[in-house]
Amino acid sequence: MTQETLFLKNTETFAESLARCGVKYHFAYPITPATDVMKRMAVILPKYGGKMMQMESELAVSSALAGAAATGTLVATSSSGPGVTLMHEAIGFMCAAELPCIMLDSMRVGPGDGDILGAQSDYYVTTRGGGHGDYHTIVLAPASGQEIADIMPHGIRLAYTYRTPVLFVIDGVSAQMTESTTLPAYNDYSAEFDTSEWAFTGTQDHPKRALITGSYSHEDGYRMNEMLRAKYEKIREDEQMWEAVQVEDADLVVAAFGIHGRMCKDLVSKMRADGKKVGFIRPISLWPFPERAFAALPESVKNILVVEMNHGQMIDDVRLAVNGRMPVHFLGKTGGDMPMNTLAEMIAEADRILGDN
Amino acid sequence: MENLSAKYGKTLNLDKLTSYCPGCGHGIVTRLVAEAIENLGIMKRTIAIVGIGCGGFSHHYMDIDAIEATHGRAPSFAIGYKLCRPGNIVYTYAGDGDTCAIGLGDLLHAANKGMPITTIMVNNTVFGMTGGQMSPTTLAGQVTSTTVNGRDTSTQGYPLLVPEMMQFMPGVKYLARETVASPQAIRKAKKSIQKAFECQVKGLGYSFVEVLVPCPTGLKMSIKDSYARCGKEMTDYFKPQVFKDETEQADVA
Repeated sequence: MTQETLFLKNTETFAESLARCGVKYHFAYPITPATDVMKRMAVILPKYGGKMMQMESELAVSSALAGAAATGTLVATSSSGPGVTLMHEAIGFMCAAELPCIMLDSMRVGPGDGDILGAQSDYYVTTRGGGHGDYHTIVLAPASGQEIADIMPHGIRLAYTYRTPVLFVIDGVSAQMTESTTLPAYNDYSAEFDTSEWAFTGTQDHPKRALITGSYSHEDGYRMNEMLRAKYEKIREDEQMWEAVQVEDADLVVAAFGIHGRMCKDLVSKMRADGKKVGFIRPISLWPFPERAFAALPESVKNILVVEMNHGQMIDDVRLAVNGRMPVHFLGKTGGDMPMNTLAEMIAEADRILGDN
Repeated sequence: MENLSAKYGKTLNLDKLTSYCPGCGHGIVTRLVAEAIENLGIMKRTIAIVGIGCGGFSHHYMDIDAIEATHGRAPSFAIGYKLCRPGNIVYTYAGDGDTCAIGLGDLLHAANKGMPITTIMVNNTVFGMTGGQMSPTTLAGQVTSTTVNGRDTSTQGYPLLVPEMMQFMPGVKYLARETVASPQAIRKAKKSIQKAFECQVKGLGYSFVEVLVPCPTGLKMSIKDSYARCGKEMTDYFKPQVFKDETEQADVA
């Protein structure tokens, strides 16, 4: 497959990016607003010699994903909140078992069965691990079709470098948006990594290997957790990703990811045109959270405004990152016919904070 | 010292002492599985995907790659694995709790998908590792630590007949229930387990063997009594038989 520019739903762009970057098998269960990923994978993966495997539940999806990932093969899944909740059993398992894979949470309104409209309601459940035990998944939040295509190779490299699941989170609004994206030519990025050192492929070329996440002695559990702690420290140190625009002289910095992060471009250019010193930080990696973007903020920044399509989840990480140096304000909404704040509402809130100064 | 692997083959690791309790039927079933793998010459490409519970120990006594899955999910793990590496031989091994309590959904869908994978379900009618609680196969009236007055069929139903649920699935190509209650029964079980693996080697479809075993510890019985129970009360209800054998058709692998 050669490089081409297509006008696609971003869920379809996600599928195309997976397949073009080397994903061979995709496991999924239908759920709005993620179903278009598995639909497109069912059509395109056979062309790459792979297959989309529909399973009977997200629990089975994630378990099959783990079994597949244990072979070293690049595999993926796509789902939304309620499905991701079911997958957490195997996500935690894959973190403990050090198995790489790519996942998507096309986020919708929760909790419970929730609503099929887009949201950013899964920030907590994805960045805090989600299941039992001390673990994290790497969480990436692209804000456009182009960014999905552009960071997919990086996502795959992260998954194999650290041998851990990489979870993309995209608010359902961005996920269902249709826009032009330049898709890459086919290249299997997982082929850069030698999985023969660890993959469970039979004892043809190695002595017995056993994938064990349980503890046969209490020391085993301690060792596994210390191993994971060291890995997560390294990821925190090396893999923070963000976009920062015009924060150097800003009075107010807006922090938002996904579609609200994308809207910040317009917010800043409009407010700067009115002579207001506003900048923005758009976290791209939600875990590890880009603390360094906030640590580097200049003295001029007096306030931070966090905007989310939820009732305040990422704001916790922003507050931890600034550690009381400045007030952190919140604007957020979830659900309704318009399940997010408009640009006008964001600007009005920014103006209110600036006026209070 | 006698070279045991020359006599018994390389699959079974005879240097390891098992951690099964005295009298446990798992030791026999584990050995039968190892012998089937050895006889078919598939050791180097065979993967054990074991469940949670005493069955999870089984791979430790074999020199083959293994994955200890999440509780009940071994069949789904096996599907993902087999899709990626169809040339490998993948079997799941777990007890009745893992296989047909928490894992029944995964099991039946895996069976119905009909991919060439093999499941060995070791049925001792209790959760053994946690100390003898009721499982779906606990007999009616059987006393366990969670059915202190016996299994009450009005709220807990009757013991689950698992292979019977798969009989009419066309993708299931070998289906049997065996027991280790006597030497004769063990010989039959050995044959069925080997056929189940052969079924996969030939690429025919899904294969399943339930093996009835005693759990003297979980049942709080003597070894002798627990074997007698296995050969009588258990087999009266769970009738050993080959439900389906379509392994004689030509290879499709």
